[in-house]
Amino acid sequence: MTALLTVEGVTKDFNKRRVLDDVSFSVRPGEILGLIGPNGSGKTTLFECLAGLMPANAGAIKSNNKVLVPARRKEALFYLPDGISPWAEQTVQWALGFFRKLYGRTQQDASALVEPLRLSELMKARVATLSKGERKRVLLALGLLTPQPLLMLDEPFDGLDLRQTRDVMTLLKEHVASGRTLLLSIHQLIDAGRVCDRLVLLGAGRVVGEGSLAELRAKTKLPEAGVEEIFLALT
Amino acid sequence: MRSLKFGELLSKEWRELLAARSYWLLLLMIGPLVGQAFIAAVKLYAEASGSGGVPAALPQGLTPLDGILAPTFGAYDLAATFFLPFVAIRLISAEKQSGALKLLLQFPGSLGTKLAAKGLVLVAGWLVTCVPGLLAIVLWKSYGGHLYAPEALNLLLGHFLRALLSVGIAVAAAAIAESAASAAIVTLGFTVGAWALDFIAAGRGGLLQQLANYTPTAALRSFEQGLLRLNTVVVMLVITVLSFALAAVWLNTGSTLRYRVLSTVAIAAVLAVGMIGAMGLRSSWDLSENRRNSFPPADEAALSQISGPLQITVILAPEDPRLTDFEQNVLRKLRRNLSRLDVHYTAASQTGLFEGSDDHYGEIWYEMRGQKIMDRSTIEPVVLEQIYKLAGVNPPAAGGTDDFPGYPLATSPRWAGSLFYGGFPLLTIFAWWFIRRERS
Repeated sequence: MTALLTVEGVTKDFNKRRVLDDVSFSVRPGEILGLIGPNGSGKTTLFECLAGLMPANAGAIKSNNKVLVPARRKEALFYLPDGISPWAEQTVQWALGFFRKLYGRTQQDASALVEPLRLSELMKARVATLSKGERKRVLLALGLLTPQPLLMLDEPFDGLDLRQTRDVMTLLKEHVASGRTLLLSIHQLIDAGRVCDRLVLLGAGRVVGEGSLAELRAKTKLPEAGVEEIFLALT
Repeated sequence: MRSLKFGELLSKEWRELLAARSYWLLLLMIGPLVGQAFIAAVKLYAEASGSGGVPAALPQGLTPLDGILAPTFGAYDLAATFFLPFVAIRLISAEKQSGALKLLLQFPGSLGTKLAAKGLVLVAGWLVTCVPGLLAIVLWKSYGGHLYAPEALNLLLGHFLRALLSVGIAVAAAAIAESAASAAIVTLGFTVGAWALDFIAAGRGGLLQQLANYTPTAALRSFEQGLLRLNTVVVMLVITVLSFALAAVWLNTGSTLRYRVLSTVAIAAVLAVGMIGAMGLRSSWDLSENRRNSFPPADEAALSQISGPLQITVILAPEDPRLTDFEQNVLRKLRRNLSRLDVHYTAASQTGLFEGSDDHYGEIWYEMRGQKIMDRSTIEPVVLEQIYKLAGVNPPAAGGTDDFPGYPLATSPRWAGSLFYGGFPLLTIFAWWFIRRERS
């Protein structure tokens, strides 16, 4: 299968500290790929490098075997960062409407996200007044309104309770079923195992494993293991 | 589709501007600031015109440009220096700090387009703040005051360019600095640096003085004198555009530090070339009604016959009032008429207080084609006579008297207090409340 996006040898140093070390993997069309690793393993840095928001020291990002220069990455992918609070003084309704119009989406597209993400009671609220979980749901809605083939979500379940996490996972799977590809950065390994088709395990800035849960179990020779055990075995 | 997206960006930036408390504070303060300046100007003008039994000044000396417009709109210089930069900084820094910049950078369109949307909205916001200034003009006309449209429009253009410059510098500072506070310090540092350059370069001549002509204060001064200089307009626009280019370079977080530094050096080089090139643009237009920036037409015709280079050496200290007179009344006009004029300032001190014992202090030397003449006068007809003599040009026949009538007006600033101190601030508060209520 031709990869939607290929990451080849991405390396990033902060001063003399190597944060990403020759990271390579591929994203297949129509899958949910989980980038998993503990805090500080370089997931967010990798996402920012992939999105062209941070320069990498080395490496290439390819789409359909053609190198994607940073300025053209936004045509192929959209990255939704974690922990941001954009346009704090504006209402949720405005933010959704702005993204919808900016990307030429229909009112139906936006409305379809309101119920599963439980946004109806938040529509009139200002972004600044939202709790962490509420803000996360609004940001997910914004991300899901973008049209790029690949959507990268940084910690999409962070701040959500159990029920919300389950609902968001369902929504993401529906989204993928409609033809989109997702790359999720997740530090909660149990969540990753539940939602992702394949996993890329990142430890100390290096890829320590890549594949489906079954492939990783085979690689680690732990046939009954969960993601946590596999990760511990590989790092 | 592209225009729709730009429209969406404009709409977003406008909402962000209206969400900024700094903008509402600017609006709240600009009314009283303009009002105070206008009321004081009208009262002073009335006194000079002979109100309250005080004898009138010479009517020729009473021009609304000097007496009313320049001081009233002086409030906008203050606002452009101390308030507007914070509004512009907020529009950039808030997005950097909230993380919205990471989304903005991924939106369709170039970063230049996105910054253009911010710039246009800031300009629109500034135009709204001009309402009290326009109200002052309307009031002045309602009192029966005189206005000469070319000089008034020229002054408005000067303040508009001044505001653009402020916006450009602030946007660049906000893009480069880590935080809004650092950006504010950089912007105020630029302002203080420009003031220092203006002060240091006064009466010094050479490249320093040429550069000082482009500081915001000096540039605005020529507009306040009714003079429209092409090079000033070009430099102010070039600095503004390059500031936005600099902002685009530094906001693009995906580029390497090396690329940003090299781009900054390239922009600085373009700025230097632009400023040097602009020095060669000598076109200027005297839009003042009393032609204060021009010699009488007969003298201008006579001066146009002089082709050789004229060198003037002035032995007067920068703070000597005679030098100020010479600069304001003679050199400024000569520079507009003689394309090959070179002025040297050779005083040894800043004030000239201790140069009185020097026999040569106060001398002004005129040199052309190896011939030299010395005179101490700074009076226009005397200076022109020396130049004609040196150039071998017949002086024009003595012309008629100055036909500028002057426009005395002894009136009181009726309604101004209630409009500027009450009406406009209340309208601002109501607009803020209404917009905030609409959003919640």
